[in-house]
Amino acid sequence: MSRLEVRDLTVGYESGPVLHAVGVEVPHGELLAIVGPSGCGKTTLLRTIAGLLRARSGEVRIGQRMVTTHGIHLAPEKRRIGWVPQDAALFPHLTVAENVAFGMLAGRGSSRAARRAARSEEVRRLLELVDLAPLAERLPGQLSGGQAQRVALARALASGPELVLLDEPFGALDPMLRGDLRLAVRELLRAEGVTGILVTHDQAEALSIADHVAVMRGGEVLQLGTPEEVYRTPATPWVAGFVGDAVFLSGVLHGDEVATGIGRLRATPVADAAGLVPEDGAAVTVLVRPEEVRVRRVDAPSAAPAPDADELDGVVTDVEYTGHDAMLAVALADGQRLQARVTASGLVPRGSEVRVSITGPVLAYAPESAATA
Amino acid sequence: MTDRVATPSPRRPWGLVAASLVAVALAAIPVIHLVVRVLSADPAELAAVFDRPRIPLLVGNSVLLAASVTLTAVVLGVPSAFLLARARLRWRGMWAVLAALPLAMPSYLAAYGWLAWQPSMKGFWAAWLVLSFVSVPYVTLPVAAALRIGSTGLDDVARTLGRGPLGSFMLGTWPQIRPAVLAGALLVCLYTLSDFGGVALFRFPVLTTAIQQAYSASFSRDEAAVLAVLLVSLALLVVLGEQVARGRAARRIQAAPAVGRRRMVRLGRWTAPAVALLLLVPAVAVVVPVAVLLARVLTAETLQAFDPGELGRALANTVLLSAGGAVVAVLLALPIGVLAARHRGRLVRAVESAGYLALGLPGIVVGLSLVFFSLSVMPALYQTALVLAFAYGVLFMPKAIGSIRSATAQVPTSLEDVSRTLGNSRARTWWTVTARLARPGIFAAALLAAVSAMKELPATLMLRPTGTDTLAVELWQRTDISAYGAAAPYAVALLLVAAVPAFLLSDARAGREATREAIA
Amino acid sequence: MRARRGLALAGGLTAAALALTGCTAPADDEETLTVYVGRAESLVGPLIEQFEEESGIRVEARYAATPELAALVLEEGDRTPAEVFLSQDAGALGALADAGLVAPIPADLADLIPDGFTSQDDSWIGVTGRARVIAYDGEQLAEEDVPDTVDDLTADEWRGEVAFAPGNASFQSFITALRVLEGEDAAAEWVAGMAGNDPELTENNLASLDLVNSGQVQLGLINHYYWFRQAAEVGAENMRAQLKFLPGDPGGIVNVTGAAIMQGAEDDAAARAFVEFLVSEQAQRYFVEETFEYPLLPGVDAPEGLPAIESLVNPGLDLSDLDSVGESQRLLADNGLI
Repeated sequence: MSRLEVRDLTVGYESGPVLHAVGVEVPHGELLAIVGPSGCGKTTLLRTIAGLLRARSGEVRIGQRMVTTHGIHLAPEKRRIGWVPQDAALFPHLTVAENVAFGMLAGRGSSRAARRAARSEEVRRLLELVDLAPLAERLPGQLSGGQAQRVALARALASGPELVLLDEPFGALDPMLRGDLRLAVRELLRAEGVTGILVTHDQAEALSIADHVAVMRGGEVLQLGTPEEVYRTPATPWVAGFVGDAVFLSGVLHGDEVATGIGRLRATPVADAAGLVPEDGAAVTVLVRPEEVRVRRVDAPSAAPAPDADELDGVVTDVEYTGHDAMLAVALADGQRLQARVTASGLVPRGSEVRVSITGPVLAYAPESAATA
Repeated sequence: MTDRVATPSPRRPWGLVAASLVAVALAAIPVIHLVVRVLSADPAELAAVFDRPRIPLLVGNSVLLAASVTLTAVVLGVPSAFLLARARLRWRGMWAVLAALPLAMPSYLAAYGWLAWQPSMKGFWAAWLVLSFVSVPYVTLPVAAALRIGSTGLDDVARTLGRGPLGSFMLGTWPQIRPAVLAGALLVCLYTLSDFGGVALFRFPVLTTAIQQAYSASFSRDEAAVLAVLLVSLALLVVLGEQVARGRAARRIQAAPAVGRRRMVRLGRWTAPAVALLLLVPAVAVVVPVAVLLARVLTAETLQAFDPGELGRALANTVLLSAGGAVVAVLLALPIGVLAARHRGRLVRAVESAGYLALGLPGIVVGLSLVFFSLSVMPALYQTALVLAFAYGVLFMPKAIGSIRSATAQVPTSLEDVSRTLGNSRARTWWTVTARLARPGIFAAALLAAVSAMKELPATLMLRPTGTDTLAVELWQRTDISAYGAAAPYAVALLLVAAVPAFLLSDARAGREATREAIA
Repeated sequence: MRARRGLALAGGLTAAALALTGCTAPADDEETLTVYVGRAESLVGPLIEQFEEESGIRVEARYAATPELAALVLEEGDRTPAEVFLSQDAGALGALADAGLVAPIPADLADLIPDGFTSQDDSWIGVTGRARVIAYDGEQLAEEDVPDTVDDLTADEWRGEVAFAPGNASFQSFITALRVLEGEDAAAEWVAGMAGNDPELTENNLASLDLVNSGQVQLGLINHYYWFRQAAEVGAENMRAQLKFLPGDPGGIVNVTGAAIMQGAEDDAAARAFVEFLVSEQAQRYFVEETFEYPLLPGVDAPEGLPAIESLVNPGLDLSDLDSVGESQRLLADNGLI
């Protein structure tokens, strides 16, 4: 079982710790995405797992092998991992095929052996897998950014790693290419049965391709879960805001309802990091996803009113149209502002008078965790 | 968007640090030797040296000459480099070679050639002229290399924001080439401080001529050591100054990353002045002295004594010894250059500065210290070719540091990361990836050390195997007895053989490629 | 792997090549003598060849300028490979003797050279003599215009017209002679006067002569034989500079070149044989004919056209007086000349 296990990892040097007691786990053959803002420590975590940085304490286990633990630091070249950096980092003096073959000769590799390896069946298979077989004899300088990243991926897989680490591999690519490559990476990792970790600052990327998502901030992992868990039940309001659009309202918890400025909403209280659940009568922060906000045009009474929710009057102040759907900014009569995601067919022009309701249960957080956001 | 700010710097590899410390310890032999000598000398005698009314004049002259030569080399070298790297010019390869050619010229030979033509030349202006022009390539070559990899993106932005061409250059390109300018200026400044041949012929009294006098008239090594310590203190100030300036430049560069492409400049009516500048430097440094020397050959009576066999042996010795010296210099400079390129901190800065110091000392001082060192450590090898090659290595290792440092810094660390994760140890990664990609820079470092070793005289005279003459030695033996005619073939041979590394350093190929680009 | 082997190969080749470069060592059975020669190879080399032929001793000669070689031997100390040191001036030999690095010259050899032209304590032996002279620009001056004594050089007439090498050992022995012959005050006055007369300071005698030859200055204070060397190069008829000897004047004294046997070689027959050869009639005649120096061995005639050495020697001057060169240097230093 080649799963990855990171426990209590603390990393840092002169400028103080960069990672504090970080723990993550990835089951065999699955992909973990690590997301977080710049400076959150996600690349440091990746480099520590790779062995390019030394941990101050904690453990890293790859499959059955403990590679980092107290007093032990296995050198990166002995960890059997693949590394795909942001800039692809292809060796500029080697052809595409030689780049892919580089890791297959680890530690020996005369230039003749490298040439032989570059002609091998395995290299051809990998290049076909990433759709680049015709470019085998090109030099990296002659490749596009997307091609270079695919070569980097093939190179990382060529040495038969147990774990592939991807450090923002799509960051420098244009959006179209990024989408294609994302899918290609996921398929490839699945096909090869390799466990993967992807570092990204793009939460949409993380949610769309990963089996698990770790959200990091300030050197800590705030939440580890499936994409759906992280999106649907974020551990803190900050996580909620980081992984998706969010509207926060303040209110008071009463049983399974919260009294807010826009009425009473069905709510599920969420425990904070210390495991404390907001008590009855406590002030809470309520998370509402824009897609949970339903908008009905006043002058289109055909749309049925929400069955079990209060409706409030408001005016659409802005429309952000994205094609498949649109985000509306709505100013309520009492001055509160909400965002609502509507399908393209439910588009409402700016200035329209609307009725707004919240569908489904919302999450209620203790306000302290909101304060740390 | 990597979180660069929070990423801890990798730990310094102790092997690299240890190798650097060994290299620095070897490079510091001359300075340590001097300090020990001064400390063990009679204090009264040392005080007497400082009491001499002439000392302030000598120090002042050394500083004045070093500062003015450095400034001139920068003022001539930066525009020359710009023309070589960025201007649309015909015969680009030829200009590149011409610009590098003065490297092959020993200062004493250039000074001699000028004196033979204009006997009235003397003092500051004469020394300034010859030393400045001979050392321009130390600035031109690294700056041209930096310009070839830099971009004009920021210049363009500055132009759109209303700056003129010069203002835009200072805003956009200058920060990119500033480290190269500083590195070149450092070499020029230390070279000028340590030069004896050129200043002596023009009778401009500086610290090096006083050191020579201390040996020649009083046979006092203590007195020479005191003066040399003064000189090395000046060199230390120069090295530290460059480090401070470079630190500032490095911070600025981080704020202004090189993005986008290079734009070639069409010269138009500036073609004539540009060509004049590119001709001026080699003309003053090489063409005039060589022409005068050749004219002397035709009129000299001692030419008959010319022995082609002797010339051939001297040529072979020169090539072999300088090649050996270059190998040693590169081996010593590698750990220091790599450390300086990849790591920061006080220790790294100290190691790097110490590596440069010996360059500020005249050859006789360095030569004597190595005599002492080799007799103490490897007496069996004393006055063998191996020890002389080692001495060349110690002498010219500083010239190799800069080139290795910048070549290494240009290899992205992500390539090393990838290689590590693909199963290569640190050492193997260095060898198959970093060194492989930095090879042109390492080769350039070797060439720079080799061309300097070919021209070296004082240490050669002391440490060469008895009976082994290099071209520089043969040349000196003839000029020393005013057999200028007999000396000329050796002068020409020395110039020609030193022109080979200079030619390779000129990067004429890069120049030709750029021509193709410019025409296409 | 292959690359590493390539590097090893390159390194090995370089080392082998370097070893070959140094591989001029003779067969072991041949007797060799290591001599440090502070004079030009083209002048001394043929003489050493003559010695090798006649004695069958192989000479390993290391050529460099005398100051550098003296500094080298001082640095090497008792580990010096040199067995004989051949010097261009007496000062360097004195410095080696002071450092205890020389062995006494065998008395039978030392006695060959008259007192006054060799060391007092037989620590070294005089080989040839060189007269201090005034070189003058023959195009601007006739011989009678040139002063007969250096005393006149401080006059306004010669402002900016005199070249000399203040750091040169032979110039400094002249200053010492001046102090001994004319007294400390007069010497101090002369040095101050000279320093104030806008002299052209050079690095060595040759540079001073070049200045006269090119008409940059009218007078140069040099050793006589530099003129003959240059005349050999360009032809005597092409020499613009001419020489004036100053018999009896402190500015016209004779300095000597000499040789010392190094400590540790005192019992070496080859070293003794070489020194003996240097003061033999054959070698002395060689110096007269090839380098135009004064022979020191009585009975060998001076170069043609030169005043007799006896006429140049000032009876008031004992060579041992020239030891106080340190005070002469202080005098020059105080006047900003060195």
